[in-house]
Amino acid sequence: MRISEHPILDFNQGRGAQITFTYDGTSINGFENETIAAALHAAGIFTLSHSESGRPRGIYCAIGNCSSCMMVVDGEPNVKVCVELARDGMVVRTQETRGTLA
Amino acid sequence: MQKTADIVIIGGGISGVTIGYFLMKHGAKNVVILERDYLAAGATGRCGAGIRQQWGAEMNCVLSKFSCEFFENAADELGYRSDIEFHQGGYMMLVSSQKELEQTKKNIALQNSLGINSKLLNLDEAKEIVPILDTSSLLAATFYNKDGHLNPFHTTQAFAEAFRRLGGMIYTDTNVTSITVENGLVTGVGTNGGHIATNTVVNAAGGYAQQIAEMANVELPLYSERHNILVTEPVAPILDPMIMSFSLNLYCQQVPHGSFIMGRTCADQPRDLRITPDSEFPREMAKTITKIMPRLANLRMLRQWAGLYNMSPDHHPIYDETPVKGFYVAAGYSGHGFMMGPATGQIMAELILGLTPTLPWQRLGLSRFEKGDLIHEPSVV
Repeated sequence: MRISEHPILDFNQGRGAQITFTYDGTSINGFENETIAAALHAAGIFTLSHSESGRPRGIYCAIGNCSSCMMVVDGEPNVKVCVELARDGMVVRTQETRGTLA
Repeated sequence: MQKTADIVIIGGGISGVTIGYFLMKHGAKNVVILERDYLAAGATGRCGAGIRQQWGAEMNCVLSKFSCEFFENAADELGYRSDIEFHQGGYMMLVSSQKELEQTKKNIALQNSLGINSKLLNLDEAKEIVPILDTSSLLAATFYNKDGHLNPFHTTQAFAEAFRRLGGMIYTDTNVTSITVENGLVTGVGTNGGHIATNTVVNAAGGYAQQIAEMANVELPLYSERHNILVTEPVAPILDPMIMSFSLNLYCQQVPHGSFIMGRTCADQPRDLRITPDSEFPREMAKTITKIMPRLANLRMLRQWAGLYNMSPDHHPIYDETPVKGFYVAAGYSGHGFMMGPATGQIMAELILGLTPTLPWQRLGLSRFEKGDLIHEPSVV
């Protein structure tokens, strides 16, 4: 789902070139200058990580504050995908509970 | 608030609650703890929470060994329904120079003679215990598997609950405003909640101990020094022992929840009661910690805070009755009061109740400063 018509904003003007990255092995299309979370949401993916108790976690504050949207991006844990821009060829994975260093 | 008490303890940090608990355990009655804010609001709740027995002075070894063994059995003894999170992953002390290696060997010989079975590790052995350790700047490390860290909030709570269960009273949000002395004898404590008449007062006020002493016109050879700590976001457990380096001037541990807690002594810290965090500290901390554990560079720092070391002239605590009769002091831990908590409680109970000493606290009195009989500790951050 993507907003295509808006009374004030013109999405077609500002939208960057199309890019492709993978989410848990599945190919996802997004656009330059949008966040990973935005591209995933547009593709209907709302579960970004799981808490210790196994509950799904998704986007919450959307400004990089709440740590609800942390995913593993190119092997780095705890990436806040609501503020991290999507790039072509990225490998994005669901984060299970806490991230793993090393 | 009650009008009288047999014993009033000033301070609701680890020392206050351990003193309260051990007093009740050894038969004291009508004991009160006064806390200005909430339990563990001062240095206890701000500390690095390490529990180590690898010291260079026999006194510190003996006090910390007693305390560590207490913590091992604390859940049973205190009957705490939650968990004090005692993680005995050991302490690894990094050795960076030949001089440090020589001191380390002396320390290990001393520790082993006291039943603390620390050992010297080569770099491969160190890396086996801490795979993320970059050993390129190191010569060796020491390790003792019974050391570790624990949760200061839960630990304080555990002692406080056990103290209450034995009949002790705790008043939080209660600020001590005066100490009354008549003919050289303490007679009471004034607070914002009223006056308590008592002939025994224990000053366990941590970073504020010298201020409390002044209320009774007692001068203590103590000052408080700001120390900073930061905490990172949590990640899966990867660092088992607490890490410490004197050369790099740092300590670091990963709490069971997954956050890393780390601190170091910054130069030119104010020697007053300020606990506003130092803006230089995170930069210096990040620079040094990533030298030995480069992977931590990718971790976000969540926040920093500061607390007070209550410094004594020889970096050892003061346990004594002051020149004012009935007015006792337990302070001056110089940065390791939390890990000494159980020893503090036991010692002050022995001192106040006149019990047979089981720990060598006679050497930790105020007279050592007049006599010049200081106890040297070579291994502190």
